[in-house]
Amino acid sequence: MSNLKRKRGTETHKTSPKRRRPGLENVSDAASIPRKQSLEDGVANEEDEYAESEGSVQDGIMEEWSGISEQGKNMEAAGHSGTHTHKPPRGEELRDIKDAADLYRSTSFKLQIDVLLPNIRPKYARSAPLERFLFTLYTFLKDLSPVAPQHPLSASRDLLKKGIAVPYPLPLPTEDTNWKVSFEKPSDILLVGSWAVKMSVKAKDQRRYVADVAVTMPETLFQEKDYMNSRFFHKRAYYLAVIAGAVSNKKSGMDVDVFYESASGDPRLTTLVLRPKHGMLAHTRIRSASHDADQSAVDFTSLNVEVRIMPVLPSSSPIPLQRLSPSRSNIRISSNDAPSPLCNSALLLCTTYKSHMITMHALAESVPAFADALALLRVWANQRGYGVGDRLCMRHFDTRGPWWAAVLELLVNGEESLPGTTFHKTAKRKPLGKGLSSYQLFKAALDLLARHDFEKEHIFVKTNDGHRFPPEDYALHEAVFVDSTSTVNLLAGVPLSALEMLRHDAKMTLDILDHSNLSEDPFDAVFMRDKRDVATRFDIVLRLNLSSAKLRDPNTHASVEHGSAYNALLEHLVSCLYRGLGNRTKAISVLHPAPQARPVSQAHPSNPSTIHVGLLLDTEHAFRLVDHGPTAEEQDSEAAQAFREFWGEKAELRRFKDGSIVESVVWSVSTADERTHIPVHIARHVLARHCGLIGDAVRTWQTQFDSVVRLPESITGIYRTTGAQTGFKAAMSAFDELVRAMKGLDDRIPLAILTVSPIAEALRYTSVHSPVAAPGPVIFALPQFARYVEPMEIVIEFEKSARWPDDLRAIQKIKLAFFEALASALATSIKGLTASVVVGHGAESSDIADQACLEIVTADGWAFRARIWHDREAILLSRLIDDKPHIAPHMKRQREGDPQERQAALSAQEVYQRRFVHAPRHHRAIAALCHSFSAFAGTVRLVKRWFAAHWLLRGHVSVEAVELLCASVFLRSAQSTVEGLGSPGSKERGFALVVELLKDWEWSQGMYIPLYHGTDDGGDKTPAVTVTAGAKTGVWALATELDSGGHVWTSSGPDAIVARRIRALAQATWVALQGMESGSFEAMTLFLHPLEHYDFIIELDPAVLPRYVQNVRADPAIWAQRAKYANTRADAEDVRLCPGFDPAQAFFDDLKRVYKDTFILFYDPLGGDRFGAVWDPSLKAPRPFRALGGFSSEPIRKEGKAKDKDKALVKLNENAILSEIERMGAGLVKNIVIRE
Amino acid sequence: MAQTSSLPTSIAGFTPIPVSYSQSSIHILYARAHTGSHKPKSNAKGKNVDLPDARTLFLVNVPVDATERELTLFFKSCGTVERIVFHGEGDGAEVPEEESESEGEGEEGSNAGEDADDTAPEERPRKKRKTGKDAVPQIVPLPSVELRKFRCTGRSAHIIFLDDTSLSRALQQPSRPKPWQIDQSAPMGLSHYRALYDSLRPPLDVVRAHADSYMELFEHEQAKKRQESKYRMGEAVVDEDGFTLVTRGGAYGKTLGGGVGVASKKFQGNTESGGKRARRNKKEKGENDNFYAFQIHEKKRQELIDLKRKWEEDKAKVEKLKQSRKFRPY
Repeated sequence: MSNLKRKRGTETHKTSPKRRRPGLENVSDAASIPRKQSLEDGVANEEDEYAESEGSVQDGIMEEWSGISEQGKNMEAAGHSGTHTHKPPRGEELRDIKDAADLYRSTSFKLQIDVLLPNIRPKYARSAPLERFLFTLYTFLKDLSPVAPQHPLSASRDLLKKGIAVPYPLPLPTEDTNWKVSFEKPSDILLVGSWAVKMSVKAKDQRRYVADVAVTMPETLFQEKDYMNSRFFHKRAYYLAVIAGAVSNKKSGMDVDVFYESASGDPRLTTLVLRPKHGMLAHTRIRSASHDADQSAVDFTSLNVEVRIMPVLPSSSPIPLQRLSPSRSNIRISSNDAPSPLCNSALLLCTTYKSHMITMHALAESVPAFADALALLRVWANQRGYGVGDRLCMRHFDTRGPWWAAVLELLVNGEESLPGTTFHKTAKRKPLGKGLSSYQLFKAALDLLARHDFEKEHIFVKTNDGHRFPPEDYALHEAVFVDSTSTVNLLAGVPLSALEMLRHDAKMTLDILDHSNLSEDPFDAVFMRDKRDVATRFDIVLRLNLSSAKLRDPNTHASVEHGSAYNALLEHLVSCLYRGLGNRTKAISVLHPAPQARPVSQAHPSNPSTIHVGLLLDTEHAFRLVDHGPTAEEQDSEAAQAFREFWGEKAELRRFKDGSIVESVVWSVSTADERTHIPVHIARHVLARHCGLIGDAVRTWQTQFDSVVRLPESITGIYRTTGAQTGFKAAMSAFDELVRAMKGLDDRIPLAILTVSPIAEALRYTSVHSPVAAPGPVIFALPQFARYVEPMEIVIEFEKSARWPDDLRAIQKIKLAFFEALASALATSIKGLTASVVVGHGAESSDIADQACLEIVTADGWAFRARIWHDREAILLSRLIDDKPHIAPHMKRQREGDPQERQAALSAQEVYQRRFVHAPRHHRAIAALCHSFSAFAGTVRLVKRWFAAHWLLRGHVSVEAVELLCASVFLRSAQSTVEGLGSPGSKERGFALVVELLKDWEWSQGMYIPLYHGTDDGGDKTPAVTVTAGAKTGVWALATELDSGGHVWTSSGPDAIVARRIRALAQATWVALQGMESGSFEAMTLFLHPLEHYDFIIELDPAVLPRYVQNVRADPAIWAQRAKYANTRADAEDVRLCPGFDPAQAFFDDLKRVYKDTFILFYDPLGGDRFGAVWDPSLKAPRPFRALGGFSSEPIRKEGKAKDKDKALVKLNENAILSEIERMGAGLVKNIVIRE
Repeated sequence: MAQTSSLPTSIAGFTPIPVSYSQSSIHILYARAHTGSHKPKSNAKGKNVDLPDARTLFLVNVPVDATERELTLFFKSCGTVERIVFHGEGDGAEVPEEESESEGEGEEGSNAGEDADDTAPEERPRKKRKTGKDAVPQIVPLPSVELRKFRCTGRSAHIIFLDDTSLSRALQQPSRPKPWQIDQSAPMGLSHYRALYDSLRPPLDVVRAHADSYMELFEHEQAKKRQESKYRMGEAVVDEDGFTLVTRGGAYGKTLGGGVGVASKKFQGNTESGGKRARRNKKEKGENDNFYAFQIHEKKRQELIDLKRKWEEDKAKVEKLKQSRKFRPY
């Protein structure tokens, strides 16, 4: 083994360039010549390297998939055809395999990376036209005629006549400016950046690749003092404008569109973007037909690339570099001479392009996997919005190209050892080996991003020739990552909060790579998924309209320092939020559209007027009610004043329980729901105070989502005025009280009560509406359509006794006796409590199944429904199902006993298992989740509401299944080592994650949810689901440790049809959720149900539905009707409390049972006033008559001759069925609408 | 009506009988004379249901909410209906429901509604019949209201007329659809559900009386069963195949009323097979696979082949994904 490794080590190095970077040596002659000529002086030192690689392979046109096919070729050349799997592999092959297995996460991961890489790189083989274009550009720029020095304003006026604006940054030159701008032909033109070293990576959304051309401005243009007051940038801007004017001139022969583009909206870093003209293809064809055949050769449209010209500073410029240390002040516009680190580093950046390119090239030469690793890292970053794209991008990361490379450089070369802080630092991070695979490098980079604390530690990449500025100088930068030339901080201007988001993303990805089991491939999640959706990414999304924004203390210095007032505003805004929210958030990200190219007639970038701020909450601290400041003793200190200044009227001096008197900010809330709003309250307060953003300028969607799970104000008002108890806490204490009372009855009932376990959603925080009690006076006050009281289900277990009868029917009867005893005992011992025995539930009742229950209404108006759990039932039922378990199934001659009875026993057993075994366990697990994840209960309520609003809850998807789905979203990440990482911190995000899950979930593969972690070793066992087409049973498999089959809660649905419908609905909801980005999103639209797919809709009369008030869109018109019938309220007979009386639900259940083979019925159990139904399509076609057809039919009327009886065809009698429905629902059904 | 004339007079041996629900909707009943020999009307329990051939009408596609009274009313013009037997609850097999059993002797009460709505009273007749004789405790029934029972759609019923001539009259296709008359005494729709809600919550004393009387009867039956049982203290129970039933606890255990249990074969099987496996494992451990050089060689070779196979499999998998263009991240 060891000698195998040694061999591999040497050979990999030798063969790797061929295998890994086919792009590099595919420089075709045509492409390389002009560059050789044009850029000769720039890359003289590299020229020989290129020449060397050119000699190796000349493949001509590259294939799109180079990775595998090329290897396949290699193998065949070595005498193997890949199909002979029975032969042991040869050495070469073996090396590949071992490589893949050892150096990557898995072999398939490596193969997937290999296939991915060519797809995200430009086709360098077709870059010949671009090379020719660059050559023309080179000669063109070299031939530009100089412009004599003139006053900046007059110079800009001259250019403006040609339609070219000069992008002068702040502070704008004035008439009394005493320096001049001028133009001379560039001293040097150089292709730099990732295109030059062939490491370009595709950007999102078909954005173009960028070929950076660094145009070195001659040093004669500059003077020593040009660092002052952005004078350098003014000269640079003029230089750029002259080039823009020349290139856009029609006579130039350059057939391109010219734009300005400013990185991060900073006018100092404006560049010129050249794009091939639209319709250039056709255009050139005509031209080439005439005489200019050469022209078509420079058309690089198909390459999807743009050329970016950036003027750079020569290394020999008169501007002294030491003046540009981050601690120096180079802005003297007011008396204020605070340091201007950003300004300085922007200038320094103009000197580094060449050296960055050289470093990258050198790295790529010495580290074979460098280019691949960089590509992986950038794909990963692009997928998470750290790059440009059409959707919202992370601010500060749109043009950090050099930084990503520098991260890898740091890993390979290590850190610069600095005097003072050196010792422990160098010990901490050792440089990695050069032979690492791309995956290993990628993962190391993620590891750095995930673990490095940018706030505390500064990073200095290893330099070649020593360090320049002392580390203390960087104190004003929030994060420090100094590049290998030791000139610029590549993270200048990036706030810590943004890096925290990056860290979070890196952590999440590492977690996926480390902890996902081998059965599911993390490749997709890491590289292929677009993760830019704000709804699933951030707990809270704020949409800010900045058009009215006004800083509390506008600061010209800051504006100049940040490049523009807009940028300064954003920075201030973020820092205010960061300070105001403190440790309540894990990260704050600013998102806005990527900077757009602008016409050259526009000097300054147009800034997006709306931005999004994404907050990632730390749920431990986020909902704290009080923020403490300095104590009263230091009342007059600076800190106290800053505190008061920051919080304004919110800051107050308070005395706390421990006796301390402290400056503090208190956020008052009235309900538990409101607590989740505290971060938004803070953000609103801070933004209003410091940035002048009030009212509609700050938009969130929290209240919209809240209103979905809340009763209308008019009803809650009644509850409040009558003093009825509401809320989960009250319900649970009512439950506890009842249990205590029941346990106190020991001497009055035959057997003592052992346990009472709750199984109701209201007792585990997850019912959509918070539970309400309805004591007498409330019932009188409530309108008829709001009188529904949900009885909360509980299970009573009595102590063991030998005196239970050993007969199922008798057990059911004796339960009645128990209930009766319990009811009368409770009623006599507790005043105001009423209890009645419910002997069954109507239509489908079997006499061996558990059916009776006890309905208890406490004095406060809480309703409970108790059942008795007797474990002997399980044994008796299983005996009924299989009376000879000791005989193997295949030996049994036939099933004995009545098949009908067996069927009844089976369903009774299912009810038993679900109700008495699984439900209490499930209840406990879900209640525990509610405690450990603060957003869980809210998520479940929202998701339940969503299912209900789309007419699926209860009828097709059980509430427990919904809870399991939500739990999977929260537990997916909780499995990992880092507790709570990635689990949503707000219910809105939880909801969005569940929608995403439903949209993507392949339910045929089942799902495993470790709900009861700890009770079992779990393991990775996803249930196998066998889906038979058109099966009427549930297709979802939600397995837990205690239910490996996964069908306890999904046995009755959704079936395949409904499951597909759920996915379609989730998809639509997902699309709507993305409206958050454009601002068009309204939470209510997610809960409006589309009706177009139903064949007919049964409309009910809302006035008689006791739950109508729970409807998502309860119609206020019904409220108005109430006044009309005010006199009927006196009818006392009608106004008694009927817990659980829901005629619509009963009607729905009846219809569903009666017509189960005729149509599928849908209904919103939460106050729905319509049923939707879809006919079974197979019944529409005529079919021969059968006596047991099982549907209401009518003969097909034949025209004229009805001679033979055999062809007696019938079809569905829709009219009659609808009439029957109307009759069955007399008083409920208002109308039946048939849709075409 | 014009529509009726276009109805076929016969469809697969059935006579379609149009029933008009309203102006526009016509429900179709399919009727045929009941033929006893065709389908033996005795189910597994061996309870014969008396369906006299000559005066029994077999009706298919009964309205879902039809009560006996409504059907009687509907066929009044043909003759007097003696009784009606609804079929096909539950699994759809044409097995008469339990309520039909009660009909067999339930002449005296002829309380149609009672059978239709509540399960509890169903217990009574069967138990009574089984136990038969005097001194049997009577079950106090739970109070019942006449409520409709919604049956699954497209089910069948037998209608037994008082005399034979009615049957032939009923099989005549009427010239025009007969209207369906709704029995107003049985509530519909909202009031039905209200009534159902109330009827499921009887007064406590009735519940108590019912449960007590049922248990009394149950005890009585148990006692009787014990008397009739073959099992006597100290005697072996031998089944029809001649095997002796061996019970745990023997003569002293609680053996009657279903409490019989034998050491399960499954358990034995488990222990046996477990033991075997344990033994085999032991044996395998003793063998040495790496004794000869060729064994080691073969093993290594096999490992490499497996490695390569896995590699090829992965490659094929990725290739397949590639075909489906899954590798364009954006």
